[in-house]
Amino acid sequence: MTIPLLEIEDLYARVADKEIIKGFNLTINEGEVHAIMGPNGAGKSTLSNVICGKPGYEITSGSIRFKGKDLTKMSAEDRAREGIFLCMQYPVEIPGVAVTTFLKHSVNAVRKYNNLPELDTMEFVKMVREEGKKLGIDNEMIKRPVNVGFSGGEKKRLETLQMNILKPSFAILDEADSGLDVDALKVVAEGMNALRDGKRSMLIITHYQRLLEYVVPDFVHVYADGHIVKSGDKTLAAEIEKDGYAEYTRER
Amino acid sequence: MGGLVQKVKLFGEYIPWFQSMRDKGAIAFDELGLPTPKTEAWKYTKLRDLNTDDLVIEPSNFLAEMRVAAEEACGCHHEDGGCGCHHHHGEGCCCGHHHEEGECHCHEEGHVCECQQKLHVPFEAYVIHFEKGKMIPPFPDFPRGVEVMNLMEAVLTEDAKEYLGKVVDIKLHPFAALNNAYMEEGIYLCVHKNVKVDKPIVLINHTKSGEENIFFNIRNLVVLEQGAEAEFVEWYNYTGAVKSRYFANVVNEIVLGKNAKLSHYKLQDEAFKANHIALSVVKQKADSNYHNFCLQRGANIGRNEVKVLLNDENASAEVDAAYIMSGWATLDTTTDILHLSPRTYSSQLVKGVVGGEAKGVFQGKIHIAQDAVQTEGNQLHRALLLSDTAEIDVKPELEIFADDVKCSHGAASGELDENQLFYMQSRGIGREEAKQILIDAYLNEALDKVKNPEIRAWLSDYAHAPQE
Repeated sequence: MTIPLLEIEDLYARVADKEIIKGFNLTINEGEVHAIMGPNGAGKSTLSNVICGKPGYEITSGSIRFKGKDLTKMSAEDRAREGIFLCMQYPVEIPGVAVTTFLKHSVNAVRKYNNLPELDTMEFVKMVREEGKKLGIDNEMIKRPVNVGFSGGEKKRLETLQMNILKPSFAILDEADSGLDVDALKVVAEGMNALRDGKRSMLIITHYQRLLEYVVPDFVHVYADGHIVKSGDKTLAAEIEKDGYAEYTRER
Repeated sequence: MGGLVQKVKLFGEYIPWFQSMRDKGAIAFDELGLPTPKTEAWKYTKLRDLNTDDLVIEPSNFLAEMRVAAEEACGCHHEDGGCGCHHHHGEGCCCGHHHEEGECHCHEEGHVCECQQKLHVPFEAYVIHFEKGKMIPPFPDFPRGVEVMNLMEAVLTEDAKEYLGKVVDIKLHPFAALNNAYMEEGIYLCVHKNVKVDKPIVLINHTKSGEENIFFNIRNLVVLEQGAEAEFVEWYNYTGAVKSRYFANVVNEIVLGKNAKLSHYKLQDEAFKANHIALSVVKQKADSNYHNFCLQRGANIGRNEVKVLLNDENASAEVDAAYIMSGWATLDTTTDILHLSPRTYSSQLVKGVVGGEAKGVFQGKIHIAQDAVQTEGNQLHRALLLSDTAEIDVKPELEIFADDVKCSHGAASGELDENQLFYMQSRGIGREEAKQILIDAYLNEALDKVKNPEIRAWLSDYAHAPQE
């Protein structure tokens, strides 16, 4: 039985006075991996920011439901606590805040919301070490301030560590126009694949097909001019790789 | 009668050398008057909210303090001992609550008086208690080579005579002149040659609810002889109703001998309607080192001014501070570092967080005298504004009369970064919690300057965001 996890209906959204998302529809069921591909400037990152509730994005009409709940009324933090995780294209540097401090606040805020007891320092450190080890993150790295002076690969490793610790039911991977090297992408892809359990769902936002070789999607959508213009299976990604986006952008 | 100038019975009027200092203070204050917006040193800190008309100076308590100190020293048991907070059944309970007669719980067995709970110093220390500007005996037992007295005691023994009133120039500082005029309460601390004090010496001044409209002056004299080392902590604390109004005027005179080392920490946590104005003047001999760190978080008008005279070669000073505020407060951090000899060094880092309609003021002056060559003076002030109505006024001043010096100053202010906040929110951290984490991180850079880890941890607990 398919259970819908994320349902977006006829969504219109704008940043400042510019309408960017125009009539967007998408339903993602439990266990599915969807990919959204589109040309630069199509508003792909706007989509992930709107789903995650970044301030400054205004929904003018339409709805977003997650596990049946109206997301648009929820704060960004509550969306995260409900199980949405945004693996960012450009993770933010936070000087003066150690990775461990940051992770502890994050894990316990999510646990508290879900009526789980907060982890004490011992339990927390043990968990971070175990999960970190799998990703090649050493103890020195988690003592450093969040993302400050991290290489591209290290930043992706930290994003993946957070995802693996928080174990979200829905992960968005925003790689809209990232020029990241293959090794860094592999780290994230492996992290995402590790979370694929037939129940968790994912949305991959990308410009290139490259990433989809590592995380193979169930569905591929072409996104242009604020909405989906074509949907298909993974073969659609290969088509785009061959023919480019010209066909879809010309359509308008 | 009220106000800043009033007749009050103080101890020691018959000691000519001492009384003449009081008289000179009164005259100097009369001549200087209260600073106005035209007074350069007080340009940004407006004193119109000082509201001194109904302030009362309490008469001398010195003889009573001495009597209690003597009784304590005799080792007798006191029936009403308990918490040592010096009030009696039937009188107003120190915990600030109203009780029917006999309902005060302060002296029941096992009960810890509220004021005592607040006064707990969370690290090993020699603690000296003051209440609303008056010393509460007894003193702790100090090790050999550390002399601590009530200031008036040191006046009587003339231990204080060599330096008292000779470090601060009352003609330049109206509130110091006023402090002179009412000089009585405070401590004399002298660390003898080459003695290193094993624990911090903490002066707590505690004011509590109900003690309103009091004007008190505290004068401390700290002398470190050659090669001596000490940590001195001032803690101005308040518990009770928010509306309590009083005025604390503090002057510290500090003398550091050759190669002496003093770490001087302060927490200003006064009531939100109280005013706190403090001046520390430090005279340093060769190779001495002075470190000052002040965290201001309370008071309506709070000013912490530090003036350092690097008199001899290779003397160094580090004057750091942090402030965190909201509401309508004005918190002022003023520094004046005078490099008067060659190869003297100073550095300053001041960081502030301002919310509500509050105003942060930083005035930092580095003066390098003509023959003070090869000196180095650095200064940095940074502030975080939490609201559109918060204000920061910064006045850095460099006066350099010598060649061959290294000098720098910088100032910056900004707001919390929305991208950082969203990043944390997208990980489930609540927006308010996220703000707090960023503010903590911001102030930590300044708090990290506190070398004693226990004192740093204690201060960190107070360096939290103001409630909006």
